[in-house]
Amino acid sequence: MAAAASQGGRSGGGGGGSGVGGGPSCGTSSSRTGLLDKWKIDDKPVKIDKWDGSAVKNSLDDSAKKVLLEKYKYVENFGLIDGRLTICTISCFFAIVALIWDYMHPFPESKPVLALCVISYFVMMGILTIYTSYKEKSIFLVAHRKDPTGMDPDDIWQLSSSLKRFDDKYTLKLTFISGRTKQQREAEFTKSIAKFFDHSGTLVMDAYEPEISRLHDSLATERKIK
Amino acid sequence: MLSLDFLDDVRRMNKRQLYYQVLNFGMIVSSALMIWKGLMVITGSESPIVVVLSGSMEPAFHRGDLLFLTNRVEDPIRVGEIVVFRIEGREIPIVHRVLKIHEKQNGHIKFLTKGDNNAVDDRGLYKQGQHWLEKKDVVGRARGLFISDIIRRTDQWRTGLICSLYWNCDNPHE
Repeated sequence: MAAAASQGGRSGGGGGGSGVGGGPSCGTSSSRTGLLDKWKIDDKPVKIDKWDGSAVKNSLDDSAKKVLLEKYKYVENFGLIDGRLTICTISCFFAIVALIWDYMHPFPESKPVLALCVISYFVMMGILTIYTSYKEKSIFLVAHRKDPTGMDPDDIWQLSSSLKRFDDKYTLKLTFISGRTKQQREAEFTKSIAKFFDHSGTLVMDAYEPEISRLHDSLATERKIK
Repeated sequence: MLSLDFLDDVRRMNKRQLYYQVLNFGMIVSSALMIWKGLMVITGSESPIVVVLSGSMEPAFHRGDLLFLTNRVEDPIRVGEIVVFRIEGREIPIVHRVLKIHEKQNGHIKFLTKGDNNAVDDRGLYKQGQHWLEKKDVVGRARGLFISDIIRRTDQWRTGLICSLYWNCDNPHE
């Protein structure tokens, strides 16, 4: 919930958030959010190097995320990402423990602790690989639609994408998991990235956004027909 | 200050993405660190890979060659073996050959080293008053060699061969 508020506040401009802040603190909080606003550039059109495959994929993913979160007002669920961050943090923690222990107790005495840390680190690496390959796959957004009546569990929308190396065909897949029936429906499109970027590398939202909306509506309408 | 375009990617990231970038870098460093510490544990030596720094072991080892070491407790040190040792008070390990050994009944060893390419033994390098090295000074025994400049060395050898052939053709022995 707090995450949704910060996302909404970020794109809506800091003015709304600081207005609610209260009288005496209004001045300081608006200057702080003003500086944060100048740093964040959500409204600036996205311009990337069109020959850099990973930059292209990232910008398309981020824009698809923006459309779903802002236009349809879904709430982002950070569970998957947090899982990955936790595994990485634990691995780095083992490495830091090994480093400090070896520094405090020079080598031959630190052998058992070092062995433990090294083995744990590589085990965590294995867990991370399994997690990213099987649990996360290429999903970069998990969003919830809160049920307006508040009774049924949330519907879940998942976005995943792929763009092969040196290829121009971008595949975006939208998955809808109904909260009530637990059914899963998918829709995807594969298009050349040339359709969404202009010659200077700026992402043209006017060409991209209708595609996302079309995907979304195709899944949403199926539900209504049922 | 605020119109730095190359920072655009960073500005567009949210907290989680920024943290992930930091973590990514940390994991690369950690992987290298863990591989090194893992090698330390496996070989038992505090510096499992060393670089030959001087020409005192030519023609066996040249400057820039990598040596792989092990330091297992059960390995005996025998005359003629190449050991890497550290002299008390000095940071840099030295790669030389064992020349003489004094061994006691209980297995305690004192040994003297000398570089193949040196004229005298290493007593001049040892600490003031120290005449022998002991097991505790040893970083490890050389088990493997990686020649870094094989291209240059074979090239020199090949150039020497061609020059000598040419010289022989020009000045044939009658």
